[in-house]
Amino acid sequence: MMWLPVLGLIIGVTLGLLTEIDVPHEYRNYLSIAVLAALDTFIGGIRAQLQNVFDEKIFVSGFFFNMILAASLAFIGVHLGVDLYLAAVFAFGVRLFQNIAVIRRVLITRWDQARKNRKETEK
Amino acid sequence: MKFKISLFFICVLTGFMFAIQFNTAKEENILTDSRGLWDLREDFLAEKELEASLIQEIRQVEQKIAKYDNDKSAGRGQVLSETIEELKKEAGLTELTGPGFSIVLTPAYEFIVPGQNDEVFISPDVLRKLINELNMYGAKAISISGQRITATTTIREIQGETRVNDYPLRSFPVEIKVIARNSETAKKLYNRMQISTIPDDFFIDNIAVTVTEPEKEVTVPASDRQIKTYFMKTVKEERN
Repeated sequence: MMWLPVLGLIIGVTLGLLTEIDVPHEYRNYLSIAVLAALDTFIGGIRAQLQNVFDEKIFVSGFFFNMILAASLAFIGVHLGVDLYLAAVFAFGVRLFQNIAVIRRVLITRWDQARKNRKETEK
Repeated sequence: MKFKISLFFICVLTGFMFAIQFNTAKEENILTDSRGLWDLREDFLAEKELEASLIQEIRQVEQKIAKYDNDKSAGRGQVLSETIEELKKEAGLTELTGPGFSIVLTPAYEFIVPGQNDEVFISPDVLRKLINELNMYGAKAISISGQRITATTTIREIQGETRVNDYPLRSFPVEIKVIARNSETAKKLYNRMQISTIPDDFFIDNIAVTVTEPEKEVTVPASDRQIKTYFMKTVKEERN
């Protein structure tokens, strides 16, 4: 179950490093925010899976929608002269921490549950 | 199963973006400014000098405009012909005399073995480098073997011969005449040439370089080539 996303990440990173694409200076903000959005959706997907509320449509649409929204926020920010991309960074950052906290809790409770079960079976 | 496939693709995408971001961020770090106080001061000074010269130029042009305005009322012609003269001078269409020196290129005979390497070749690259260096340090007019160097002069190799304005540099010695803005710059330019690496560059091609002492009067001939103006148009008069 866990190896497929990890394999995907490894393939993606190697592809990215091998192609040596250079993003122009003006677009670096957009890329960084898109990366953050992708990371947020990714962690959110893991959390949803652990809580058994995962829906593929929501996951995929969230991935692209969040990325586009974040990039357009940054774009509007550039044209208005306000660093609006900070809003996206803030929102994604907070959500990232929350999701990771939920994942940690779920994993700890599961681990505890498993240990208790094992002890009961031993008895 | 569906979850796995979509997650897989999204992971690939995320990783890809991550790597690109990593690449670009790594490059950004190299572009930091590490100049010290004295470097900055020097740069500042250079910019300041540029500013001063630009201000001077603006003032000259403004004076000229005022003259034109005067000229309009008192019958035109005078200032206009002055301007034409000036522009001709600048373009290299007139003979010029002033303080300067000459650089003489002769074959370095001690390195030339008859029958082996007796064809001495002046590299157009080194020649161009020399002209760039002279212009950089304040040369006003340059001629090579009687060919005036202007903005449109070509220096290139054609079938094993270096040609300046299509005039081949065949016979030695080749004399390069240089006129500086004033005698002080001429001296400076002369000193520059003494420490320049260009004689070494010529020496590789078995050419010896002699720089004569600065003289008060060096004459550089006028350019005999017509300036072609295929891509120029007269400016339409602005109506106020």
